[in-house]
Amino acid sequence: MKITLTVNGSRRELEVDDRRLLADVLREELGLTGTKVGCAHGVCGSCTVHVDGRAVRSCLTLAVQADGRAVRTVEDLAAPDGTLHPLQQAFSEEHALQCGFCTPGFLMTALPAADAGVPLDEERARELVSGNLCRCTGYDGIVGAVVRASAICAGAAPAADAEAQR
Amino acid sequence: MSAVEEAREEQAAPGLIGARVRRREDGRMVTGAARYVADVELPRCCEAAFVRSAVAHARIAAVDVEAARAAPGVLAVLTAADLAAVRPLADMLEVESIKTPRPPLAADRVRYVGEPVAVVIAEDRYAAEDAAELVAVDYDELEPVLDVEAAIAGAPLLHDHVPDNVYFRTQFRSGGTDEAFAAADLVVSRALHVNRQLASSMETRGVVAQADPDGLLTVWLSSQAPFQQRYLLALALGLPESRIRVVVPDVGGAFGPKDFVFPEDLCVAHAALTLGRPVRWIEDRQENLMAGSHAKEQKLHVELAFAADGRLLAMRGRFVGDTGAFAYSGPAGLVDVMFSAQSLPGPYVVPAYDYDVLGVLTSKTPVAPYRGVGITAAQTARELLLDEAAERLGIDRVELRRRNLLGDEPATSITGQEYDGGSYATSLERALERIDWAGFPARQAAARAEGRHLGIGVSPFVEGTSLGTLAQLQSGFPMPSHDHAWATVDLTGTVAVGVPTCSHGQGHATAFAQVAAEVLGVGVDDVRVVERDTEASPWGMGTYASRSAVFGGGAVLKAARLLRERILAVASLLLEAPPEALVLEGGFAGIAGVPEARIPLAGIAGAAHFDPGVRAALGESGLRVSVFHDSPPAYSNGCIAVEVEVDAELGTVRLLRTVAVEDCGTMLNPTIVEGQVRGGLVQGIGAALLEHAVYDDAGQPLTTTYMDYLVPRSTDVSAIEVDHLVSPSPRTLGGMKGMAEGSSIAAPAAVLNAVADALSPYGFRVERLPLGPHAVWEGLRAAGTA
Repeated sequence: MKITLTVNGSRRELEVDDRRLLADVLREELGLTGTKVGCAHGVCGSCTVHVDGRAVRSCLTLAVQADGRAVRTVEDLAAPDGTLHPLQQAFSEEHALQCGFCTPGFLMTALPAADAGVPLDEERARELVSGNLCRCTGYDGIVGAVVRASAICAGAAPAADAEAQR
Repeated sequence: MSAVEEAREEQAAPGLIGARVRRREDGRMVTGAARYVADVELPRCCEAAFVRSAVAHARIAAVDVEAARAAPGVLAVLTAADLAAVRPLADMLEVESIKTPRPPLAADRVRYVGEPVAVVIAEDRYAAEDAAELVAVDYDELEPVLDVEAAIAGAPLLHDHVPDNVYFRTQFRSGGTDEAFAAADLVVSRALHVNRQLASSMETRGVVAQADPDGLLTVWLSSQAPFQQRYLLALALGLPESRIRVVVPDVGGAFGPKDFVFPEDLCVAHAALTLGRPVRWIEDRQENLMAGSHAKEQKLHVELAFAADGRLLAMRGRFVGDTGAFAYSGPAGLVDVMFSAQSLPGPYVVPAYDYDVLGVLTSKTPVAPYRGVGITAAQTARELLLDEAAERLGIDRVELRRRNLLGDEPATSITGQEYDGGSYATSLERALERIDWAGFPARQAAARAEGRHLGIGVSPFVEGTSLGTLAQLQSGFPMPSHDHAWATVDLTGTVAVGVPTCSHGQGHATAFAQVAAEVLGVGVDDVRVVERDTEASPWGMGTYASRSAVFGGGAVLKAARLLRERILAVASLLLEAPPEALVLEGGFAGIAGVPEARIPLAGIAGAAHFDPGVRAALGESGLRVSVFHDSPPAYSNGCIAVEVEVDAELGTVRLLRTVAVEDCGTMLNPTIVEGQVRGGLVQGIGAALLEHAVYDDAGQPLTTTYMDYLVPRSTDVSAIEVDHLVSPSPRTLGGMKGMAEGSSIAAPAAVLNAVADALSPYGFRVERLPLGPHAVWEGLRAAGTA
C-alpha cells in the first residue's frame, strides 16, 4: 500500500506491506535507527515515537495507520546545529542512561511533559516514565532528568553549562 | 589498611581519576545516533528466523522443510544435517563431566522448549518468520525433567553420559565443622528455593555475519567478550582465528549472558559463509525470555551454628544448581553454585565450614551468568538466617552482625578467598545512619498503631571482583585470565589507548580516558579509547564479573605510565634535560619551572616517528607501548538497607527508603559507580519481589512476555541514596576494586528481611523467592493468620 508520512518535518512517500510495523518502516526503510525495538509487544516503551504529537508504541502500530500523519522520532530532538534539547542534556547530566538502548523511548515519552512548561516534582516524573522499562539505571537518573528538564523548559531553572561537570 | 576516607563530592581529588566527568558516550545515545547490532547496515543483508522446539524433551522423528523452502523470499532452510560441518559448542573448562556439547541445531533430540531445530534465511524477517511456521517437526515426546531433586532421583537422563543428571559434584570440608555444630548453643537452618531469573537486557541477543570474498568472516555481536567469542567461533566453525573478526557495536546491556557464543550465532555465521550474503538475526523478546538464557535458580540448604553470645561457630551448605539442558558453558553452570558455596561466609568471621555442590541438568533453558551470580543466593540465605538467629538468641540483629564482621585488614576466608581489606564495619554503621535505623522502632510502632506494617532490613556484603587468574582459582574452578592494553601518541598529539574490556553501558570510553589523561597530562577529550574490535583493540577477556575497573583501568594505567616514560625520554633528548626534571601537563612536555622550555605532544610524536636519533633511542616500539595485565583478587564491600511497607491484605510490598553504601576502593568516576549501584540494586529488588521464570508441569515456559516476566518499573522502587567509602585495594594497580554487583547481591536479603520484619507479628518466614503478593499471602496463611 502507498502511504505518505511526514517524518521529522519531511514528507515521505512509501510503498509498504499492509502488515509492516511503523517501527520497522522507520528503522529499515527510512534509516531512522534511533527508534529501538525492545520487546515488540508494547510493554517496554523503547520504540516510542510521536504520531501527530502523541506518544505511541511504534512496535504495535502499523505503518499504514500513520498514513497522512506527522511522525516524530528521537533524531528530531536536537536542533539542526546539534544543540541538544534540554531533556537530552538533562539525561546526560543526571546520568540517566548507561547502555542507551531504552533512552530514545524514555525521551519521547517524557518530551511532551517536559515541553509543557510545567515543572514536575519527583513523584510525578516517576509516574510519568513508569510505562517504560530501563534495566541499567535503577530510574533515579531518569526521574532526575525529567524533573530538571521540566524545570528548565518552564523557565524555573537555568540551563546548565553544557561542559559543566557536576 | 585501616584508613577509611570520605569521598563525598566536595572532597573529590582534583585529578581526573575520580572526577565526575560527564560521559562522552551520551551524545550519540541521546540523539538516536548510537549504533547497536540491529543497526548495522549491510547491502544485500538477509535475515534469519529460528524454528524452535515446542516441547521440553523429545526425540525428533522427522523435520519437514520442503514447504518452507518453497515459500516466497526464502533463501535457505537449514537443519542439523546441513550444519554437520559445524562442531557443537564445547566447553573451555577441563572438567570432563561437564562436557555436554551443545549443537547449533538439535539433531535427534530436543531438551528444552525453545531449543533451535531449524533456521530459515530469507530476504527479510517477515518472510523468514512466515516460512519458519511452515517447518513441520514430528516429536516423540519424552518425560521432561523439571526439578533438580527429581533429576537426581531416577528421572530420565538428559545426556546419556551424565549419570543422575549430575554433571558436576564437589565438596569442601574445613575440619571442625561437626564438632562446632555439636557444641553450638543455637543452630538455625533454612531451605531456600531461589527463583529462576533472566538478565533481560533491554537489547536482546543479536548477530550479523558477513563473509568477504577474500575469506574474512566479520561477525558483529552484541557481546561482552569479543576475543573469547572469536576463539569459540573459530573452534566451532573450524576456521583459524585470523580469518574471523568480531566487532562489538554499542551494546544495549548484557549483565552476564553475552559472554558466550550461542547456537544461533553459529547458524548465522555458517549461513553467511555458505550463502555469500550477509545474514542478520535479532532475537525477539519472546525468544529471549523463552530460550535466550536463564540464571540463578538453585535449591540451597544452609545451617549456621552460634554460641550463646552470638559468635558464629560454623556453617554448612548444600547447593544444588538448576542448570537447564546443557552445562555449556560450564562457567555459566558452575558460577551459580560454586560462587554460592565459596561466598557463603561473606563479610563475617567463620571458623569452620562444610559444603556440598551439585550441578544438575533439567529440561529448561540453559543458564548463563547474571549479575551477582551465585553470590546473591548465598548472601540471601545467610542474611535471612542471621535475622532468625538474632531473634532466637535475644540479641539485636545489627549487634549480632557487628560481633561477627571481619576487621578492616586483609584476611583470608575459610574458603581460601583472599580479601584485600575494606570497611566492613564502617559501611554497616554508615548505612544504619543513612536510613535512620535508630528512629525506626518509633516509625514502626506508630505505623502499627494505625494497622500498617513497616519493616526494615540490612544486608552487609563483600563482592568478589577482579576476576583474574588467581581470583578464578580461588572461586573453585580455575580459568586463566589474559589481558593487554596499548597506548600511543599520534602525530597531531592526541592519545589513543586500546583496552581489553568490552563496555556495554559502563562508560569505559569516558572512565579509561580519565585514567590515561591524568597520567599523560592531557584532557579527557584528547584521549580516544579503542575497544570492542578484535582487529583494533588488544586481546582481553572482556567485561564481566566486575573486572573492568581493575583489568581495563589497571591495564590503561600501566600502559599510560609506560607511555609517559617514553614521552619523557623523547623530551629529555630534545630539551637536553634529565627525565626527572621534566613535567607532562597541558599537552606539553617541558622542564619544570621553565615555562618556555616545552614541546607539544605532537612535536614529541613527530620526533619519535621521524628523527633518526630519537627513533633509535626509543627502540623497536617507538611511542606505541603494549602491556600485559593480570591482577590478584579484590573485594569491594558495602551495605544495603531498605525500609518497606507491606500490605498484609494484598500481599504487596512498597519500598519506602533505600540506602546503598559502597566501597570499591579508588573510584574512576563516582557518577558511573553510583549508576551501577542503583541499577544493580533495582535488579536485586526485582529478584526479591517480581522476577520469576516459570515452567508448567509439562516443561512449557509460562513467562515469555514482559507481561508475565516482571522487571521493575520506576514506580516499583524508591529513590536510592548512595554513599561512598573509599578503602583503596593494597593489591591492585591504582587501588581500584571492581564493582557493580554488590548492590544486586545484597538487595534481596535486605528486602526480604524487611518484609519478614514488617510481618513479624505473624511469624512470617521467607522460604522462596520472589516474594510477590501471592507468596506473601501464602506465607501468611502458612503462619496461620490469613
